[in-house]
Amino acid sequence: MSKVTPPRAVFVDHPVGRTFGPPHDRARNEAVLTRTLAELANMTQPGEIRDPGFQWSADGSRSWEEELRAEMLHDR
Amino acid sequence: MPVEYLPIMASNSAPKPPRVLTAPAKPSWHPIAKPVDRSRVAILTSAALRLAHQQPFIPREDLSFRLVSSDPSAGALVIDHHSGIGSVPKQDPEIVFPRTALANLVGRGTVGALSPVHVSFMGGLRKHREIETELAPAIADELAKAQVDLALLVPY
Repeated sequence: MSKVTPPRAVFVDHPVGRTFGPPHDRARNEAVLTRTLAELANMTQPGEIRDPGFQWSADGSRSWEEELRAEMLHDR
Repeated sequence: MPVEYLPIMASNSAPKPPRVLTAPAKPSWHPIAKPVDRSRVAILTSAALRLAHQQPFIPREDLSFRLVSSDPSAGALVIDHHSGIGSVPKQDPEIVFPRTALANLVGRGTVGALSPVHVSFMGGLRKHREIETELAPAIADELAKAQVDLALLVPY
């Protein structure tokens, strides 16, 4: 994200393609969107990237990363 | 430690050369004029997403865009992007295009108003000059017509 210099950005540490949560989880969609929009008021400098601390798994596990790599490597 | 996506993307690109990330030629900063609860908000997605009745995107270098109604009841969403990450978001495009969540936030007063339309285009294009000189200005015109205060880009 930092390489393409967006005006302002919020980092969502979820698997790519699941920015707002797992499928059909509307409560989580809303929670991520609400928190993201709330960061706007804090961003006053061009290129600023905020990290609100989103995590995909409730226990902080990053086991999703290997599955994601496998999925992405199908993109040929 | 976040996933390092760039090496995976480079591997995906083979035998083509890796995609080159480019920064815009002009600074894109614009200060926020209004608080969110007084702003009209649009979603921008690079998922090549559309309503089912709209013309499909043509992978991979399609420079067109679609205006997608912000009304969650406007119809089913289709993702045309060929990325390998697509199998999950195609089950529920709202996880990359939260039009229902945004409409709900407007209903609660957290967000001021919905843009009548959101905007969708194809991510991962290599025609950087055309994106900057043709696609982006055309989308900016549509957002201005819709009197949008804030545009939230959700990269795909």
